[in-house]
Amino acid sequence: MTTREFDGVRLERVREYVWEIPREGEMRVPARVLASEALLEQIGDDRTLQQLKNATQLPGMTKHALCMPDGHQGYGFPVGGVGATDTEHGCISPGAVGYDINCGVRMMRTNLSYDDLQGKEEELVDELFRAIPSGLGGGGVVESGLDTVKSVLERGVDWALEAGYAVEDDLLHCEDEGRRPDADADAVSEKAKNRGKKQLGSLGSGNHFLEVQRVTDVFRSDVADAYGLAEDQIVVLIHCGSRGLGHQVCNDYLRKIEKRHGDLLAQLPDRELAAAPAGSELAESYYRAMCAAINFAWVNRQLVMHRTREVFERVFGRDWEAMEMHLLYDVAHNIAKKEVHDVDGDERELYVHRKGATRAFPAGHPEVPKAYRDVGQPVIIPGSMGAGSYVLRGGEESLSLSFGSTAHGAGRVMSRTRAKKEYWGETVQSELRDQNRIYVKAQSGATVAEEAPGVYKDVDEVVRVSDALGIGDKVARTYPVCNIKG
Amino acid sequence: MGYELREHTADVAVAADGPTLGVVFASVADGLAAAMADTVPDDGERFSLTVRAESREAALFDYLDELIYERDVREVLPVDNRVTVSRGSDGDSNDDSESDENGASDKKGEEWVVDADARGVPLGGLRAREVKAVTYSEMRLEETADGWRAYVVFDV
Repeated sequence: MTTREFDGVRLERVREYVWEIPREGEMRVPARVLASEALLEQIGDDRTLQQLKNATQLPGMTKHALCMPDGHQGYGFPVGGVGATDTEHGCISPGAVGYDINCGVRMMRTNLSYDDLQGKEEELVDELFRAIPSGLGGGGVVESGLDTVKSVLERGVDWALEAGYAVEDDLLHCEDEGRRPDADADAVSEKAKNRGKKQLGSLGSGNHFLEVQRVTDVFRSDVADAYGLAEDQIVVLIHCGSRGLGHQVCNDYLRKIEKRHGDLLAQLPDRELAAAPAGSELAESYYRAMCAAINFAWVNRQLVMHRTREVFERVFGRDWEAMEMHLLYDVAHNIAKKEVHDVDGDERELYVHRKGATRAFPAGHPEVPKAYRDVGQPVIIPGSMGAGSYVLRGGEESLSLSFGSTAHGAGRVMSRTRAKKEYWGETVQSELRDQNRIYVKAQSGATVAEEAPGVYKDVDEVVRVSDALGIGDKVARTYPVCNIKG
Repeated sequence: MGYELREHTADVAVAADGPTLGVVFASVADGLAAAMADTVPDDGERFSLTVRAESREAALFDYLDELIYERDVREVLPVDNRVTVSRGSDGDSNDDSESDENGASDKKGEEWVVDADARGVPLGGLRAREVKAVTYSEMRLEETADGWRAYVVFDV
């Protein structure tokens, strides 16, 4: 048997691209890493594997805790982590969802071609940067009061529809039609709402961005047809989350759980894994608050998309409808959801925690929106500024291998502090423009350096492994043209 | 004495030390500000805040969480942080330099009070990037021969 060892953590090769950390000590279940040897080398380079082992100690963890091909060290639960816990006997862990609840990605199509855009890149990137709030303290698309925030939390994109920021078709192309029914605004603290009201419709900073891209490759033409994608087409990718509201929800509940369920916490190896036992009052209220934050994030991305439509109308002098700027899909990659999965022949309801992982349900699954049920759920995997992004579809093997999940991005390999020493923002920006014809505009030069293409794993390799495992199949590849970020 | 930004794959970590808990808390907060902006202008009015928590670590966590909250609602970057940490449970408000005389922490009914103030630099005049949240991950708050030492990971 092939084995690998990193810092005292031993992995056994189960089959190609599947590695297992056998159960030992306090682990409740084994852990699995879905990666090629090259990706495993990078995953083994920091504390990812130890964090994955720690995650197996959460009560009710089912089958195995998983690390996706783009996994890297996070806090408590690794980024790229998937953990399914029993909703009756297990627990729910805010730390295994992450601070940025429903951080995610949406892609909007257009009927423009790359030819239509050439010569207008600078105007477009400037206009987008001016119109879409980003960075720290940049405000939001909507100046809202607490009443608005409450409606957004409870109604999700349905609120945006009523307020004129969405059309019916947007809802039909979003998971859960852009509204989590379990949401309860009263489970969200006043503090969280206060942060949210100033940030509704904003990118934030860090790795969040808006990118105008062109489709460079189509790998599965039947699925690409169903998604409305073709070579040379212009699309828009939006990556952001629930902003300060979601971060506050996470910390509020981490602290409440720490105080109420200290006995459970004492058994866990990392305080950041703090979990509320299934059925407890805090498990229920965290779930309702998290669902509300999910709604907030969907509206956030919807408002950014709405603004993008307006900018395109100004720059191209046509209605957005005439440019067929329709939402392709919206995926969450920091989330926990009650889902029913087959576990050794039994149907069981589980809290599926995906932290830096994307749901990837295959064709035929009842939770895939009708528009895509015959081909499988779209999965959008953003790459770095200088590399391509991918559109995948949920693969046939995802339910048996990874609780219906795949990767969420390239995954970092270099720390932000080191990136700032290695790269200079303005140099990265001009190199991307001169060599790659990518137009980048950011609030902070440091953000550009920290997000330089070289700090990320090879997204092509991440996607190749996802495709080979059959958890997310390659449909199309896109390449950046304009990028704005905080 | 002071703070240092440390390597962390996706996030940013701050290490700090100082003679008292208050100085260490303030240094971590200054490190948090440095992680958000490289250069900071001299303007901004001071504001104060108080948090209470059941242990020293929880006090540090809640203090940093509150600073990030104030940043978002006041729309300022909190810099030049000043902090006093005291014991508050039995009305016995010791100065932070002596507060650890009993050694063990996290005792039932224990309360730690953080009184802090900071200069709030308006975000409008800054080129700053966001730190999302304080985390408990790998957090350390330890007594040393010369005072206290802290290590905190922030989510970016």
